[in-house]
Amino acid sequence: MRHLRAWLIRLAGTFRKERLDAELSAELESHLQMHIEDNLRAGMTPDEARRGALMKLGGVEQAKESYRERGRLPSLESVRQDLHYTARTLAMRPGFAIAAVLTLAVGIGATTAVFSVVDRVLFRSLPYPEDERLVSFGVKAPFEGIEFMLAPEYAVLRGRQNPFESMTTLTPGGSDCDITEQNPVRLNCAVVESTFLSTFGIRTIRGRDFLTGDDRPGAPPVAVISYGLWRSRFGGDPKVVGRELSVNGKPLEVIGVLPAGFEMPNLAKVDMLLPQVLDEAALDRSNPRVLLRAFARLKPGVTIEQATAQLQPWFQDSLRFVPPQFRAEVSLRVRSLRDRQTADSRVGAWVLLGAVVTVFLLACVNVMNLLLARAAGRRRELAVRAALGASRARLVRQALTESLVLAILGGVAGWAFAYALLKVFLAIAPDGIARLEQASLDLRVLLFCLGVSLLAAVLFGSTPALNEPAAEWLAGRASSTTARGWFRQGLVAVQIAFSLMLLAGAGMLLRSLWKLQNVPIGLETQHVVTAQVSLAQHRYTDNARQLAFFEDLETRLARIPGGGVLALSDTLPPSGGMQATFFASIEVPGRPRSAQGTGGMVGWRMVTPSYFDALRIPIVHGRGFAEADRAPTEQPVVLSEALAARLFPGQDPCGRMMRFTAFDRQGPWRTVVGVAGNVKNNGLSAEGDPEFYIPWKNDAETYVGRGFAIFRTSLSETSIVSWTRSQIAEIDPLVPVEFATMNTRVEKLAARPRFNAVLLGTFAAMAVVLAALGVYGVVSFYVSQRTREIGVRMALGATSTGISRMVLLSMLRWTIVGTMVGLAGAWFGAELMESLLFGIRPHDPMFPLVALGILVAVALLAAWIPAYRASRVDPMVVLRYE
Amino acid sequence: MGEKADVWQGTLALMVLKTLEAMGPLHGYGIARRIEQTSGDLLSVNYGTLYPALLKLEQEGYVASEWGFSDNNRKAKFYQLTRAGKKQLDRETRDWRQTQEILAKFLGAREQTS
Repeated sequence: MRHLRAWLIRLAGTFRKERLDAELSAELESHLQMHIEDNLRAGMTPDEARRGALMKLGGVEQAKESYRERGRLPSLESVRQDLHYTARTLAMRPGFAIAAVLTLAVGIGATTAVFSVVDRVLFRSLPYPEDERLVSFGVKAPFEGIEFMLAPEYAVLRGRQNPFESMTTLTPGGSDCDITEQNPVRLNCAVVESTFLSTFGIRTIRGRDFLTGDDRPGAPPVAVISYGLWRSRFGGDPKVVGRELSVNGKPLEVIGVLPAGFEMPNLAKVDMLLPQVLDEAALDRSNPRVLLRAFARLKPGVTIEQATAQLQPWFQDSLRFVPPQFRAEVSLRVRSLRDRQTADSRVGAWVLLGAVVTVFLLACVNVMNLLLARAAGRRRELAVRAALGASRARLVRQALTESLVLAILGGVAGWAFAYALLKVFLAIAPDGIARLEQASLDLRVLLFCLGVSLLAAVLFGSTPALNEPAAEWLAGRASSTTARGWFRQGLVAVQIAFSLMLLAGAGMLLRSLWKLQNVPIGLETQHVVTAQVSLAQHRYTDNARQLAFFEDLETRLARIPGGGVLALSDTLPPSGGMQATFFASIEVPGRPRSAQGTGGMVGWRMVTPSYFDALRIPIVHGRGFAEADRAPTEQPVVLSEALAARLFPGQDPCGRMMRFTAFDRQGPWRTVVGVAGNVKNNGLSAEGDPEFYIPWKNDAETYVGRGFAIFRTSLSETSIVSWTRSQIAEIDPLVPVEFATMNTRVEKLAARPRFNAVLLGTFAAMAVVLAALGVYGVVSFYVSQRTREIGVRMALGATSTGISRMVLLSMLRWTIVGTMVGLAGAWFGAELMESLLFGIRPHDPMFPLVALGILVAVALLAAWIPAYRASRVDPMVVLRYE
Repeated sequence: MGEKADVWQGTLALMVLKTLEAMGPLHGYGIARRIEQTSGDLLSVNYGTLYPALLKLEQEGYVASEWGFSDNNRKAKFYQLTRAGKKQLDRETRDWRQTQEILAKFLGAREQTS
């Protein structure tokens, strides 16, 4: 207690030392005066009186010093001194301070920004309680990338023993729905089973969850609304539960409100959850047609492997309903929810994290090198301070203070840099990297950043501080520094190795990107603007209305002001999403149907005759469509080259017949009238599927909910957009239209690879610069340490070329070691990146070799500057200085 | 100064407290003189060491200080024993006596054996 009290007073004293000092001076002064008076009274002369008093006091300065020590906290005092001293030395050599802080800022900033991004993808738990038990499961088949579940089979599983505590489904794609009362808006609705929220462990913050009865056919319609909708539309009204809302023209009751951070398991946007009503027809086992996405919560302690094994009997059972020849291509898949959400961003995220950690380590190594070089330059000063009585601990503490100050400055600058970098990431990031839009520099990332700064301080602060000052340093002579030189040059070798790996990796990604952007897509994208129109089902309830809309649309839009070509189609290349059927389901007279497998997928589109012209897709054989082909009696078809080659190998396809199954019905026999060039239709990197085209007919048979209007025109994008908007508004002002040029549609497909390549390229560039700085630093140090030796050599007749060569050779050894290690690393690293590459082999030797060339050139250049300086050493100056 | 024994640092605090108890409020110089007199000039205080000791006692709350005027009307800082200081003095005096007794017995025993 007493000690604490005394400590607090001393702490306070530390911050008001002037007052303490003044008070003591006054007190000592009065002491002296009283003593002198006493002495005078005792009969001394004034001089003697004063001298006696002073002697008795025993040295005013010493008294003051010990008084001061007692009055404050000396340890805190020395921290202040250290800080002060650090500030002074850093300001004395601002170049060093700026270089160190900037290097650190780059390392820390990049690490923090990338960590903020990948944290979301790789590490952070999903926003559901005990999220590690949540899985996505279902059947994996060639025509669908994500596992799915057929409604009747799911119903069977629900009745059987299964490894799940609870399971649930949702309808893929959700549904468009509109609030159809005052202030109509379009919402994103998700259609889910009644067990949905309870399976994910989410509770409504108002009202109730769905009950088992809510998804039965004929149950009164209800909805759970999102927090966002509750705030924006209902102003957070606590009495919203029980309110009636008109959605898609029908009334439903709001029964609950979701919590604020709610997130759909498929990451879709959601404003409202509607119960998924499955009627008799949907559950008809003989004709499964409803596709669901299934999720489940594993029973505690059950692993994914165990769950897969337990589901096998059910899966084998349900396989009986798959046509025998397809069975081999169908499998059961159970995977964690996180895997489902982030599967395709993972590799990219790991590569980025690896790259940025490398850059960070390089930055640390550089600062460490800087500090080492500086420590060597300041050994004399250290030795002087040690000789004057500074303890070893004090010197170490001083060195650590310096590193900490640098690290903290670097951390702060890095924080700012990270902030800017994250902004850039978000700006150039493609859609579809899971959770990227939520990435922010939050508290966890801040702590990470701070931790990293401190780690850096210890990493590079400890080494110089552990140098024990030797007495001989006082002489200021350069003693042998071989051991430390090895260490520093080894660090540079490590830098070169890592830079080489990054450079090779970045090279591969950039080359992939280049190939991807130059991949022939089979159509011309210049001067093409597309407009996507989607009709709300509740407003266009029958085929006749819809037909009328598109007829009107086509007539109006065909009158493009200033001329041009208009085409309509139901889907657009080169992204996927077109209608598709199995190759095996296509019939050709005289050709036996394949008994083995699906034969892969074949896509098809409905297009108006001018489609090929509008997109400049060449007709390589026969003809395209004509207006006459749209008559109800005509059944022509145009094949892609790839499909023609598969259906009619080595024959002329024109005039031949084919038919296929579409919309669950056997289609009519169609006559092949022509063959069109192949077009990429499954993204840029994937091998395209074969496809065929049928004419867009204005008949009541085909129901098209959405379509694209394609313009080839010399008009500017803005004028065609505003003109089209007004035309469509005249037909129906409530139809939403989305515009995009064909160029942007294609560009978008390369966005992910571009994102990866740009980032890795940036990091590789940083790494090379850091490595160059490292080489430069080490060689400069080497030269400054040997100035005397070089002087002597030159005095003995060495040429300046010889000196340069000596310096360069000293560096070359380490460069070679570094590049060897780097080449090996690049070789193994390439395998990890394989899934990110396009059009190049992972073990293409070109990339490591080019990287090697660049690094050797950079290292030599960086070494040459100090080497040149060494060769200009004037022996006379050096020897005289000695 | 050399022939006089230096004040044993640990006991200085005790002497200060004892002096203040006996004399009431007193300034630094007065305390120093008083200690010197009572020890019969055998013990010489290096006056300077007194002030850090006083500061320590004040920080620990055993004495309180206040500026005032001396008999000669000179401005000086007066120290006074606090209640905590009184207790501390009693405790230390007790401890000191104990130590002395033990020491005396120890020394006496040695004399007898030799």
